[in-house]
Amino acid sequence: MKKISGYHGVVLNVNLSSGEIYKKEIDPKDLRDYIGGRGLGIKLLWDALLEPGMDPLSPDNPLFFMPGPFSGFPFPSASRTCVVTKSPVTSPKKSKYKYASTIAYSNMGGFFGPEIRFAGYDGMMIQGKADHPVYLYVHDDQVEIRDATKFWGMGTDAFDRAFTDELGDRRFQTCYIGPAGENRVPFACIINTAARAAGRAGTGCVMGSKNLKAVAVRGSGMPDVAQHKEFLTLLEESRQGFQGTEDTLDWRRYGTGSALIGASDNGVQAVKNYREGTFEHIDKIGGFAARRAVWQRDFACYVCPLGCKKSGRAPLDPYAGMVHDGPEYETGTMLGANLLIENMSGMMKAIWHGDDLGLDIISAGNVIGFLMEAYEKKHIDRQFLDGIDLKWGSVDGTIQMLKKIAYQEGVGRLAARGVHLLAEKIGQNSHKYAIHCKGHALAAWNCHASPTQSLCYATSNRGACHLNGHSARTQNRTALIDSTGVCLFARSGYRENGISDIMEAISKRNWTSDEYKMAGERIFNLEKLFNYREGFRREDDVVADRFFEEPLTIGPKKGAVLDRDAFEKRMDGYYEDRGWDIKTTRPSQKRLKTLGLA
Amino acid sequence: MRDENKNAEPLTILDFQHPLLQDRRHFIKTFVIGGIAVTLGGMIVPRTWAQDDSKPPEYSMILVDFNKCTGCRTCETACAQYNHKVNLNGETLPGLGNPNLANIRVFSFNPDVDVPVVCVMCKDNPCIEACPVGPDEENRKALYRDPKTLAIKCNMERCIGCGSCARACETQRVGAIVPNPETNKPERMCTLCDGDPQCVKYCPYGALTHIKGNWIDNRHHALSAEKIAEELAIRWYGLQQGGGEEK
Repeated sequence: MKKISGYHGVVLNVNLSSGEIYKKEIDPKDLRDYIGGRGLGIKLLWDALLEPGMDPLSPDNPLFFMPGPFSGFPFPSASRTCVVTKSPVTSPKKSKYKYASTIAYSNMGGFFGPEIRFAGYDGMMIQGKADHPVYLYVHDDQVEIRDATKFWGMGTDAFDRAFTDELGDRRFQTCYIGPAGENRVPFACIINTAARAAGRAGTGCVMGSKNLKAVAVRGSGMPDVAQHKEFLTLLEESRQGFQGTEDTLDWRRYGTGSALIGASDNGVQAVKNYREGTFEHIDKIGGFAARRAVWQRDFACYVCPLGCKKSGRAPLDPYAGMVHDGPEYETGTMLGANLLIENMSGMMKAIWHGDDLGLDIISAGNVIGFLMEAYEKKHIDRQFLDGIDLKWGSVDGTIQMLKKIAYQEGVGRLAARGVHLLAEKIGQNSHKYAIHCKGHALAAWNCHASPTQSLCYATSNRGACHLNGHSARTQNRTALIDSTGVCLFARSGYRENGISDIMEAISKRNWTSDEYKMAGERIFNLEKLFNYREGFRREDDVVADRFFEEPLTIGPKKGAVLDRDAFEKRMDGYYEDRGWDIKTTRPSQKRLKTLGLA
Repeated sequence: MRDENKNAEPLTILDFQHPLLQDRRHFIKTFVIGGIAVTLGGMIVPRTWAQDDSKPPEYSMILVDFNKCTGCRTCETACAQYNHKVNLNGETLPGLGNPNLANIRVFSFNPDVDVPVVCVMCKDNPCIEACPVGPDEENRKALYRDPKTLAIKCNMERCIGCGSCARACETQRVGAIVPNPETNKPERMCTLCDGDPQCVKYCPYGALTHIKGNWIDNRHHALSAEKIAEELAIRWYGLQQGGGEEK
């Protein structure tokens, strides 16, 4: 097959062990069938790992930074980078492989993905392990592995500034890990612009295992497109389509922060380690309060008209003057409502620490919530917590725990392993309130009053994921959008078939919109095949007992609880929808053939 | 400190509420850094705004409202599309919007401040002053003002690539002019897009305005991105650049 427009057709390959650096051509068929971003990432991972059961922290586990075919072109919100690797977080209930784990993909906004494309690549694949801390320097064709010893140990905030000085050019785009990634905390994240994160799935841990502190990219080029005139027409149309709509204005007003109050009012927020769905003090940490007292300015990712990122300054002592971004929905819930923290300034301080340490704030807030509950229930004592008085609502206790986890000290060493292993250690039926799926912590949306949310978590290919989608159809659509480089938040700003029409203008596959939907399904199924090969089965597609056994006691959804039979029935229907075996979840040969996977 | 120049044009300041705020406390007035207005919940209009249509040519420039800029860089892509057109089968079309070709460039800082840098059309044009190439029959140096738009232009045939103009802009003004890495000849002078600046047209946040009229011309004109970011970090966050937390 000949070269496809809209792509460079190459991935930058870097081996940190051997120092080898080269451009690797991508099979045009893979570009065509797997689009880019999350999809192309999982295909390249699949091709790189021929056997299941590899240790995710071994040098051979590849780490991919994947923009999509939209990346670099000025379509609204085409700003995302998908980081793909084998997960250091997840594990199945049973498997013959010691290191069995799912795929990991994690999306970040900012400017990094487009810059990879300007530099002339459709992605980066990093393998091996450097024998000392390094950073990767990419300026178009000039690619170097450089010493980062002096930066090792730095928090992401200070490093962000120091790295800009080191590079001597503000137009470089960078991403990096904090102490958590360096110390291989499984749920360490990758940060860019000191606040945006590829938060979930442990990508920062894999980066740290390679002794890779940071990646800096700057480029000057751009791929060509298949249909220039159509491109211009669709660009004008989609730019106009976002202007002045209620949706756009909502994102600008409160970002995801608007959901803090909305979710609480609907009883679907993670509150008190998922015990409740409503937080009585949500007004103190919600979007209105933040807009009034904290947020100074709005910020946007590359060519994004939504501007959902808010940066501000904490107003209240003893945290006054603290400057950081957020709260957004996930950070404000996981380090706010879920821990019963009602001090906005203290919460911002905790969020800053989480980002600065390079921790996934969702996983960190989840595990700290678990510890708070265990402490309250006297399943653990203060000694277990290294003397930290980890009461509900304690900002200082939370910050101390964040540090313990990032530096893997004392109780932090255990907590870093996640709630499922903590529960194993603590016993006393604490697994009933260990809120994870496949070892990956649930995010800030609760399940009691939302049965489809439980399906969303249970069937996600990276372990619990709130963005996965509530049905096979929406999951396929999400997989497609994650593969284009467009932000999920912008999906409703494009008209129906807008994304696939633009894909045609960029790359001309001669596909119908249904064929694009099928690409989403293909990507989701390849992820599933990867996980199935590792040993994940239906028994792994579950959510915690809490949601089935402990009804909500407060709020508008008081009494809500999941019904086990209804859950299983829903899951049956889902597997049937997918064409997967109901008992094992193995994708059927027939379906795989249709998708070109068998 | 910014009022010491007696030649500065007086400004009309219009109080204007941030659309997202209902709180009276947030009524904050405008302050000005040189030719670039920094408006805090505000909007600024020079007194000489479009008074006289009969007297071309007219100074005009791109005014940045940092209060509204989110750093999305859509301006860069729109600028590049218009000013770097492509030829397809004999037809001239806007380009794909490679931001690296843009004449307006956004610089980002930590804590979050974004500063679009674009030629501010200095009245005393230190870039032209610095050009060592002698005048031609039209009395133009290699670097000159376009008689229609008054935008800075370079006659690439006469330019000797000495880099003096870029140096003058960099050291005395905003650093908008950048020498081409190969030829060392000046690039990125704002063209005003034949009177319809595309950055203004496509900014999703309304952060850019095409201001016409006699623009202020004082020694605080056109501060560098670093200086502006420093001012704004103090003003918005009470911080010097750097320091999420006192260590």
